[in-house]
Amino acid sequence: MEGFVAHTLNEFEQGKISRRKLIETLTFAATAYATGSAGAAEGLKATLVNHISYTCPNFRQAADWYSKVFNLDQIGARDKDVALPFGKKGDQPYNVAAKDVPLTHLIIRTRDLNPPPAAGEAPRPKVQAVVDHVAYTVADFDREKAKADLKSLGVENVRDGGLYSLHMTDPFGYDVQISGFANNALTDG
Amino acid sequence: MERFIAGLVKDFESGKVDRREFCQTVALAAVVYGAGEAASAQETRGFKMIGINHISYSCPDYAKARDFYTSVLGMESTTGKDSGKRANLMFGPEPGKGGSFIVARTAATDAKPSRAVVDHVCYTIADWDEQKVRGALKAKGLEVGGREGSLHVFDPFGYYVQIASAAGENAFKR
Repeated sequence: MEGFVAHTLNEFEQGKISRRKLIETLTFAATAYATGSAGAAEGLKATLVNHISYTCPNFRQAADWYSKVFNLDQIGARDKDVALPFGKKGDQPYNVAAKDVPLTHLIIRTRDLNPPPAAGEAPRPKVQAVVDHVAYTVADFDREKAKADLKSLGVENVRDGGLYSLHMTDPFGYDVQISGFANNALTDG
Repeated sequence: MERFIAGLVKDFESGKVDRREFCQTVALAAVVYGAGEAASAQETRGFKMIGINHISYSCPDYAKARDFYTSVLGMESTTGKDSGKRANLMFGPEPGKGGSFIVARTAATDAKPSRAVVDHVCYTIADWDEQKVRGALKAKGLEVGGREGSLHVFDPFGYYVQIASAAGENAFKR
């Protein structure tokens, strides 16, 4: 709690948050702390990626590519987007015990990335970060076999990535990585 | 295929087709059959997806991103993998057993000529309690937007971060 207060105060002193925001934040945190709402004071815990939102000039072309390469079904297609879940309806995400965690899915879209703010909403801040690639874990990954399979599927720019993975380029030049379980937070980097 | 050949042989033996027709028909059947096999093989190629391995996130200061994702979404910075320029932020199942991680890097954000963009990532929170989730985000000093079962905030670099329940964001309930 003390560290959080110090951090928040520091932001106020640096002009990053207003006086009103400082008061609101500290009041809320203190109240949550005092009433034992530990979750509110300590933060949440992400269980799994729910979805990746991928925007490109032609969502149908991209969706077909991801379907082909990763054997993913396309469901819930709308005018400008479609969902590609990582499994079938009713499947449980891999190694996730909680029953209220849905399968991860891709939402592949074609849309304006800089829309005007919705009524009542503040304009979006300027984005200074980028997700420059997404890596997927696939079953029974064998790098040499995977390389041959990708080439036979017509996938472009297939190349080794580190010790355990492959990179490739999707139809819109986006960098896609695949690996098995050997590439993980303990081995990567 | 076998039944088709047997019928063709019978026709040949009874004189309904001559030797030339017989050979041409069998050859053509083989080509058609082969094409069917290839098409079938094509349908079953590709990989079986397990899940997201990692998300490579580049920004002007990885430490700010590291602190945000560990503080707000409970991710864990992998011991020994913080180089001063990047860190691995783990979440979900154990590493090597289906777990995911964000690679937060200090790096240029305009180097990739891709025509596509991952404009946001949504994370599922198990055991969703709307009031608690909103409260936890507000307690971090964040402006919270969204609707029931699906909230969003912006990280320190203006990147849109969505947080949802199974009911709020689910491919099978679109």
